[in-house]
Amino acid sequence: MPGKRFWIVLTMLVVVVGLLAACAPAAAPETSEAPAADQAAASEAGGSGAGGETLNVWITWGDNPAQIQSLFNQYGEANGVEVVVNSPVDNDKVIAALSGSEPPDVLVLSGPDDVSTWVTEGLLEPLDDLAAANGIDLEDIYPAMLAQGKRGDSLYALPWGSDTYGLYWNKDLFEEAGLDPEKPPQTLEELVEYADKLTKVDADGKITQIGFVPDFSWSHIEQYAPMFGGYWVSDDGTQVLLDSQPIIDALKWEQQFYTKYGPEEVLRFVSSTGDYASAENGFMAGKVAMTVDGEWMVGPNFIEGLKPDLWYGVAPFPYPEAYPERANTNAVGGTVVVIPSGVKDVDASAKLLAWMMSPEVVAEEMIANYNLPSSKTAAEDPRFHENEKFVIFMELANDPNATTQIYTPVSSEISTELSLIEEQVLHAGADPEPLLKDAQEKLQAELDKALAQ
Amino acid sequence: MTASQASAPRKRTPRKNRRWTKRSRRNLVTGLLFITPWIIGFLAFTFYPMVSSLYTSFTIYHVRAPSEWVGLANYQEMLADRRFWKALYNTFYMVIFAVPLMLFGSFLCAVLLNLKLKGQSFYRLVYFLPSIIPLVASTILWVWLFNTNNGLINVALGHLGIDGPSWLTDPQWSKPALIIMGLWGMGSTIIIYLSGLQDVPASLLEAAELDGASWWQRLWHVTIPMVSPITLFNLILGVIAMFQYFTQAYIFAGAQSSTAASGGRVLGAPLDSTLFYSVYLYHKAFINLKFGYASAMAWVLFIIIMICTIVLLRFSERWTYYGEEA
Repeated sequence: MPGKRFWIVLTMLVVVVGLLAACAPAAAPETSEAPAADQAAASEAGGSGAGGETLNVWITWGDNPAQIQSLFNQYGEANGVEVVVNSPVDNDKVIAALSGSEPPDVLVLSGPDDVSTWVTEGLLEPLDDLAAANGIDLEDIYPAMLAQGKRGDSLYALPWGSDTYGLYWNKDLFEEAGLDPEKPPQTLEELVEYADKLTKVDADGKITQIGFVPDFSWSHIEQYAPMFGGYWVSDDGTQVLLDSQPIIDALKWEQQFYTKYGPEEVLRFVSSTGDYASAENGFMAGKVAMTVDGEWMVGPNFIEGLKPDLWYGVAPFPYPEAYPERANTNAVGGTVVVIPSGVKDVDASAKLLAWMMSPEVVAEEMIANYNLPSSKTAAEDPRFHENEKFVIFMELANDPNATTQIYTPVSSEISTELSLIEEQVLHAGADPEPLLKDAQEKLQAELDKALAQ
Repeated sequence: MTASQASAPRKRTPRKNRRWTKRSRRNLVTGLLFITPWIIGFLAFTFYPMVSSLYTSFTIYHVRAPSEWVGLANYQEMLADRRFWKALYNTFYMVIFAVPLMLFGSFLCAVLLNLKLKGQSFYRLVYFLPSIIPLVASTILWVWLFNTNNGLINVALGHLGIDGPSWLTDPQWSKPALIIMGLWGMGSTIIIYLSGLQDVPASLLEAAELDGASWWQRLWHVTIPMVSPITLFNLILGVIAMFQYFTQAYIFAGAQSSTAASGGRVLGAPLDSTLFYSVYLYHKAFINLKFGYASAMAWVLFIIIMICTIVLLRFSERWTYYGEEA
C-alpha cells in the first residue's frame, strides 16, 4: 500500500523538520540560557513595547539582584532602552558567551584575574578610545585601582569599586591578654609577639583561641609580598619573580604561625570556626584575635549587622621593623567592568559603561555593597564617611604605598601555582625555596612562550 | 574462554539473495526515518562534539583566533604534569576503594530491605530518600556534618571517646570523607539490587532450605550467584561514575573557607587530595582556558574508562551467571 507508506514518510518528515526548527534556537544554549525566565520575558516586553534596544549586563558576583536591576533601570528609563541584569553568572557561562556570537553588552567581574588571559585570547575591547569618546574621567579614578585594568599600554577593564585589606583586632581579647586594647601591633615582629600572647592552648594541647592565622579566611599573599619588598612578577610583566627573596620571606613569615602550634592543630581549630558571613565567623566569635580582612567587614552585611556590639579596631597592616617606609602598604583589587569584543553595538556598551563609571552611580552601588568607590569624587559622598573604620580603608587605597597585582597572560597559572605552594608551606610544613624554584622555571618558560605570540 | 561460544557455533541464516530487495530497502528507509530524531541528536550533540574535542586535543585552542595544530604536544605535557598524575592517583583511589564499598553496602541494604518485615516500604523509602536530594544540597549538608569540632560526626565520635579527625583539612581523611558521603546516597544502586533479589527464584531458595542450607549458605550459594549480572551492571556503572567524579569534590573544596574568595580558585584542597580527574580537567579548561589540554585529558579518560570496562567484562565471565543456556 504505497499510499499508506507515503503518509507515514510524510508525517515523519514533518516531525523531523519540526524538531530541527525547534532545535535551531536551542543549539546555542550557553549564550541564551543564562538570563532567568522572568528577565527574558522582561527583555521581550522591552524589545517590542518601547521599540528600543536591549542591553545585557552580566555580573559574576552579587547577592542582591533586585537592587542591581533597579539601579540599571535608572539608565534604562533615562535612555529609552531595556537593561537586563543577570547576576550572579557562573564563570563557565561567561566563557561560553565570550566565545559565542552573543556576548553580554557589558560584563562586570569580581576581579581582574581573568582579564589577562581573555585579552590574550582577543575576547575584550580596548577601552582607551571608548573612555575618551564617552567622557570617562580617568583622572578621577584611584591610580592603584586603574592600574588593574591595564595590559601593556592599553586599558581593558575599568574598576567599578574596589577592596583593600587591613588588620582587624578584637579589643576584648587584647585586654584579657594584658595588651593595650587601643594599640594594635605596629610592626610584623610585634604582630608575631602579640599573636603568641593571644593564643590559648588547653591542657590537651588543643587550641581554644588563636592570635593570628595568616591565611584566614583566605590567602593574603598579595598583601604580604609587597610588605616584604616585592612581588612575584616584575613591574613590566615580563619576568616571573616567584623565587625572589620577598616571596620566600613572606612565606616563611607566614609559616611560623603554623609551625609554632603545629599545622594540624591550627587547621583543626580554623576549620571548626563558623561560616564567613555569619556571627560565628572566627573573628566575630572571638576565636581569632587578629585577622586580615577587607573593608566590607565593618559594614552592615557583616560586623555592623551581625555582631554590632563587637569591640574591635581596624588599622593598616603592620610593616617590617627595619622598613618603616613600607607603612600603609596595601594591595587594592576588586570588581572591574569590561566590554567583550563582538558586542552588537560597541557605542551603546561604552555609553552604558560611562554611566556606570559616573561618580553618582559608583557611589550608589558601592554604598549598597559597602565596597570602596573607584572614583575620587564619589568618595566624597558623606555616606562613605559615616563609619570611621571604613575611612581607614579609603585612606589606604589612596596611599602612595597602595599597590595592585601585576597581571600577565599566564596569571591564572601563576596564581594557581603560588596558592598550591602557600598551602604546602603553611599546612604541610614544606620548605618554600625548592618549590618556588621549580615553579619559577616552569612559569617563566610559559610566560616567555605566551609573550612571544 | 567461554563455553557458550565454543559449544554453540553461530548458525548463519544463509541469504538467498545478497542484494537487498525493494521491500527490505524500503523497510530500512522507514526504520531510519523513524529514528531520525535520535540520529540527528546523536550526530549534533554527541558525535560532532566528540570529533571536535579529538581534533582540539591536538591543538592549542584559541577562543577567537584559529587553533594551532601541535600534534601530540598536549599528551606529552600530560606526562610531565605533576598535578595530572596526582589527579589520576586520587581518581583511582576512589574507584578502587569507593566502588567495592558501595557495591557491598548497597547489596547489604538491599538484602535487609528484601526481608519480609512490617513497614518495609517505609524503610525502602527512607533508604532511597537521599538519592532524590540534589547533590549540591546534600554535599553542603555533609560539609557541616564533617566539621571538625561542631560537626555531628565528630561530636558522636567524641561521645564514644574517639577524637575524630579533621575531615576537611587533613589530606589523609578528605577522600575517606567523600567515600562515606557517597555511601549515604546509593539509593538507586540499592533499588537495582532489590529488583534483582526479587527475581531470585523462590524455588531454588526453598530447595536449598529443604536440603538443610542455612540462611548464610543460601545467600552465598544461591542469592549472590543469581544476582551476579546485577553486580556486574552496578560495578561498571559505579566505575564509570567514579572516574567522572566531580560535583561533590568541587563543592567540598569550595566549602572550605580558605577557598571562598579572591585567590581561592584552587580546586582539590586540602593539598590536592581531592583533585580528581574531572576537577582538574575543569580547572584546565575553564580557569586556565587550556581547552586543547583539557580535551586531551578527556580523551585519555575515555580510553582509561574503555579499557577498565573491557577488562571488567572479560573477567566477569568467570563470576557472572546468566541462568541455564538453551
